Amino acid sequence: MADFLVQERKIEEILPANTLKTCVPQAEVAREVKEAPSRFRNEIGKYVVHRSSECIRCGKCAEVCPYGVHVFKPGYKYFASPKDHLCIGPACEKTDHYCVALCPKGALKVADNPMTEGLGDYRWTADMIMATWKMAQTGDVPAEEYGLQYQCGDSGGGFDRLRFKFPDKPPVKLEEDQIDMSIELNKRNDGRPKIKIDVPWYGGGMSFGSVSNVTQLSKAAAATAWNTFTCTGEGGYMERMRPYDDHVITQVATGLFGVREETIQRVPIVEFKYAQGAKPGLGGHLLGDKNTVSVARMREAVLGISLFSPFPFHSVYSIEDHMKHIDWIKHINKRALISSKVSTPTDVDMVAVGSYAAGTHIVHIDGGYGGTGAAPNIAKKNIAMPIEYAIDKVHGFLEAEGVRDNITLIASGGIRTAHDIAKAIALGADGVVVGTSELVALGCVRCTRCESGRGCPRGIATTDPVLSKKMDIEWGTQRIINLYNAWYKELIGILQRFGMRSVRELRGRTDLLMHLDYSNDVEAKR
Amino acid sequence: MNRDLIERLTHSRGRLAGGLNLGGDIKKSADEGGCGVVGFCCTEPVAGRHIYEPSRQMHNRGNGKGGGIAAVGFDPEQLGVSREVLDDYYMLHIALLDEKIRPEVEKRFIKANFEIAASGKLDTVEDWQSVDGLHVRPPDVWRYFVRAKDSALDKFIAENDLQQLDRRDAEDEFVNQNSIRLNQEYYASLGEQKAFVLSHGRNIMILKVVGYAEAIVKYYKIEDLRAHVWIAHQRYPTKGRVWHPGGAHPFAGIDMALVHNGDFANYHSVSEYLRQRNIYSQFLTDTEVSALLFDLLSRTYRYPLEYIIEAMAPTTERDFDCLDEEKQKIYRAIQAAHIHGSPDGPWFFIIARNIARQNMFQLLGITDTAMLRPQVFAFSDGEVQVGLICSEKQAIDATLLSLSKDDERICPVADRYWNARGGSHTDGGAFIFNLVSDPSGGMRMECTDKFGVQVPMPGGTEACDFSAEPTASAPDAQIRSEIEQLLEAGRSMDLFEYVRDNISLWSFDDIRAACRIIAGAKNTALAIETLTLLNDRRYATGPKKTSNIVHIVRCELDRLFRSLPALESGRSGDNSYRLIDFQTRDALREPREGEKTLVIDATGFPAEGDECDAGILRDAFIKGWRRFITFASRGQRFVGCGLGPETDDVTIDVYGSSGDYLGSGIDGLSITVHGNAQDQLGQIIKHGKLVIHGDTGQTFMYGAKGGEVYVLGNAAGRPLINSVGRPKAVINGTCLDFLAESFMAGDPLKKGGFVILNGIKFDDNGRIVPLPEPYPGSNMFSLASGGAIYVRDPDNKCDEQQLNGGQFVPLTDADWELMLSYLQENERLFGISVEDLLTVDGRRCEPAEVYRKVAPSISAVSEAVADTDDVATDFETAEPVVA
Repeated sequence: MADFLVQERKIEEILPANTLKTCVPQAEVAREVKEAPSRFRNEIGKYVVHRSSECIRCGKCAEVCPYGVHVFKPGYKYFASPKDHLCIGPACEKTDHYCVALCPKGALKVADNPMTEGLGDYRWTADMIMATWKMAQTGDVPAEEYGLQYQCGDSGGGFDRLRFKFPDKPPVKLEEDQIDMSIELNKRNDGRPKIKIDVPWYGGGMSFGSVSNVTQLSKAAAATAWNTFTCTGEGGYMERMRPYDDHVITQVATGLFGVREETIQRVPIVEFKYAQGAKPGLGGHLLGDKNTVSVARMREAVLGISLFSPFPFHSVYSIEDHMKHIDWIKHINKRALISSKVSTPTDVDMVAVGSYAAGTHIVHIDGGYGGTGAAPNIAKKNIAMPIEYAIDKVHGFLEAEGVRDNITLIASGGIRTAHDIAKAIALGADGVVVGTSELVALGCVRCTRCESGRGCPRGIATTDPVLSKKMDIEWGTQRIINLYNAWYKELIGILQRFGMRSVRELRGRTDLLMHLDYSNDVEAKR
Repeated sequence: MNRDLIERLTHSRGRLAGGLNLGGDIKKSADEGGCGVVGFCCTEPVAGRHIYEPSRQMHNRGNGKGGGIAAVGFDPEQLGVSREVLDDYYMLHIALLDEKIRPEVEKRFIKANFEIAASGKLDTVEDWQSVDGLHVRPPDVWRYFVRAKDSALDKFIAENDLQQLDRRDAEDEFVNQNSIRLNQEYYASLGEQKAFVLSHGRNIMILKVVGYAEAIVKYYKIEDLRAHVWIAHQRYPTKGRVWHPGGAHPFAGIDMALVHNGDFANYHSVSEYLRQRNIYSQFLTDTEVSALLFDLLSRTYRYPLEYIIEAMAPTTERDFDCLDEEKQKIYRAIQAAHIHGSPDGPWFFIIARNIARQNMFQLLGITDTAMLRPQVFAFSDGEVQVGLICSEKQAIDATLLSLSKDDERICPVADRYWNARGGSHTDGGAFIFNLVSDPSGGMRMECTDKFGVQVPMPGGTEACDFSAEPTASAPDAQIRSEIEQLLEAGRSMDLFEYVRDNISLWSFDDIRAACRIIAGAKNTALAIETLTLLNDRRYATGPKKTSNIVHIVRCELDRLFRSLPALESGRSGDNSYRLIDFQTRDALREPREGEKTLVIDATGFPAEGDECDAGILRDAFIKGWRRFITFASRGQRFVGCGLGPETDDVTIDVYGSSGDYLGSGIDGLSITVHGNAQDQLGQIIKHGKLVIHGDTGQTFMYGAKGGEVYVLGNAAGRPLINSVGRPKAVINGTCLDFLAESFMAGDPLKKGGFVILNGIKFDDNGRIVPLPEPYPGSNMFSLASGGAIYVRDPDNKCDEQQLNGGQFVPLTDADWELMLSYLQENERLFGISVEDLLTVDGRRCEPAEVYRKVAPSISAVSEAVADTDDVATDFETAEPVVA
């Protein structure tokens, strides 16, 4: 019997003893930044450093380089190959430690890494990917010298055209510990737990099947460290996830794969996935090759068969069906909060209000920028409303309907950085859900081939037992903890500049945003 | 109607639209839910209060932001007019949101155009806030009995060149256009709406409020207003701030009112289609659009009802192929002309009509081709006939119960309950109740499907007089002594068989008294078992109405349950049952010595939420109870949910009108439903047993992982869809469509899942007879990758065309061995013997001659994959399911 649960939460009265029996002690994960270098020998960097055979191994370069590009260990005959991802590139020229200039033999050369041209895309630029790696490695934003443009992508729209209008100097000076970054997830006052998370984001749903068990567990452990949540996605709830139950959202999606009464009873939040912004109206689809033995077991499906989660729920075709659906889950798990994940059609505002009326605690709107490689391109870019419009629309409508303060609005779909998080909140969300950026922290190169073959060459979005061993849980956890830490610091910095004591003050402050394409500011709209 | 006239009518509307500047963007005012709909008609005019109870019980299908009712076929005296005025005059109902506007509205739109035979404001209660369920003050409603002034009508006809049109039809159009004008002037064109027309037909009334539908009955004081046809709607608009009921259902055409359950996807397309015919939406909801569409098809194109239904819910796929050639030709033409106006997506309409030309009232329900919304039809035959259409069976039960309290000739149990198969060749997805005057001055009703085929009723016609208690002398001494002997012997099956075999011969008095004796037996378990068998089983009742016998049995069961010792009293009763009800729910405690079964009286419990009866059941389980009976259910949901895993020692028996999501998620326990069940049963069921002594509704066992399920009757649409693991289901009837779509349940011969579909029904004598087709749908086992369907199909009526992803494979001995144990359990539960199933036209056949196996056609692929040796060791979940 899980005594800790009984003592802390008095849930013995609401959960049957046979369910309590299945509760397990919860893991504790330290929120501690530790260096977590790339698991690959040659991390991709912005520049490449060439060392020619002219090198006489004098050691000058290693001596002058403050970034640790050149590693020369005494006793070794040769230099190790340069850690060129640490190099700040031609910008170094102006300094007194430019190795290329200082090399007595002219044996060094620094050039742009041609690989960056192939890395990423307009939304997730190479700079942003590399910056995310750095954050995941160090727990901090990359140093300015690297010149990585990570606050925005290059998509020409969305968050990439929004900028904050920071005051010239902060109205008040606030220390980090004076700023509250937490948000509440239950605003309904319905007697269900007032769950608070320490940061205004949580991890998105990725099923076992779409990603490996190591990926899922790393996400869960990191969520535990930061007292926030991760989501199982729709593909079963593995036993090894149990020590993180208190930080897990389990998904009830249209295929109902792996959804059982018991899995619903394990968690503090249950998420209904009605649609994904990356592919509204298309349901879920796991291709046969990724349906390996363990996936088929977990989903109790037939091995090697493509698995479809239909669109929509066969049992939910209307708002009152939705209410019934929510009532059902609330009945099964009396302590759970309900989140409804919907995509962003033009009437998303009505959907949100309807969902509120149906009893949901969290409306999670998922815009079209997100999605991993598995979503078809034609859908990913062309169906859902851009999330920045949707947030504003839903936030405004909820306010007009007088229910804004009774519901938590969560946005997702292309939230890549701390700046995106801040912008989403300023547009009107309470918090956000992140997905892809966590995978990037784990070493994803955004090749967008998540669905094909046995999956990910980097061993993240795969269920192949060999591929998924390319990563271990401890490392994965640390990388995500570090990324979160970097974001946290960034957000603190933003709030400090605005002189806000809580991230909640930022919500709906469209007056603090401007859109580069329009001379008149967003504030003119209201 | 001739084409020329259609064009002239269309042109006249075009002129109107141009003059009023109708048009602009096609938009929708609010998203809307599926909502709760109910409709019934009766050969006797019945009072408005009977729409109250079913509406109240469907609260959870609305959100109190819109409710409406319509009634057709009034008693002229109650309305204070003559029969002639009621029959001939248009009954204009106008909602005034701003009372000051009335003189102006009357002057411009009523007095100017019409002769008024009578008029007045509908009486209301004084303080609207004293009526539960109202959100804002309802509008004042004025009723006018009007005919077009000759001069005005002549002018209208001349202006629009409608001389060829029947004068009455022209007058209909005149009234219609007058209302459009009024609505545009005082409603659609304004920011602050002031007035609109609720209804404008003959002998028909529509009322709407911002609130729950039943509040109308109270507020407008129509509890005692009698009409032959009533429909009601609970709306669920997603917009929270609604200050007037203009968008609420029903919507009117001339002489018709329509309510809608659903939300169709092609609102823009249908709106565009109507615009091309000069018809413009003024209230911006898809329900209004539906009413306009129906009105167009019936009043402008003059289609017979069958073609109207075809235009709205086209026949497609295999169903189309099954039509005869002549029909195909016509339907193809209809579809070609009207497919863009055909609502797509989930919808279900209930329509009430006054067809004055034929002196007939009509109630009809049409379901969409994809069968996405739940709906149930029922017919109660007899001296007084009642036809009913609802979103949920429990609403039908509530209506009949309410009606039977006023008129004991009406039995609370209907003679037939059934679903429609949308866009099908079998029934066309629509059923129509026609009320026509009979020579004696009363009315008679018949019910037909889309094709005009009459819905057959059970053979027994002798009704029980429930107005009197059975005579004291009943049953006769011999029956009494035989029953007492059998009670003494203590075997419920013997006692049941005795009653069953004699029931045709006994009088109703004898039957009632016999059941009363059984109910009063000392051995409570024996009494419950026997009466339950009488309730569950199908048997011959001779000339007597089966529904009446079922009602007698159910009354005795309820009486028996209510007489059990209350848990609260704490007295040590002489049996192991303890009763708890809504009033005494706080008395819930652990079971004490000798207490075995907790009996829950569901009366008064809300359908969901912390206070619901399923919640009490779960709390009782936590306190240690293991056996449960719930009775008198009225659609309460989630029974058996939330008990968690390892509940193999729990049994639940459910009596009454059980609700949605029953047993969804169970993992070990057994539930028996003693009657028809509703929608979403047994979803994600992991393990356990579900027995349904009747039909079940939509998406039965969606996403199931396991469990054993037996259904005596039919499952509606999409049963066992997306099921994985090892679910086993025996369905003795059939399904509407999409059985076991995306079924992924391994190999049945290696512990995987399967469905046995018997495709049978019971005749009046309680014998099984095959259905015309074991599976009428176009899709069976489509996209399936595992499991199997064993379909009883001795005449090979199922064909490859129905299997999109399945294939017929030979039935092996191993298959039969597997099936047999489930069929034997089926026999034990329902009395459907394996022998009878194997007997075709009097000949005992081999299993392989009777049953056909449908297996996934892609299993070969998966086996190839299964040969690979990658085995993950990380998971201690269930055994692998490998086909």
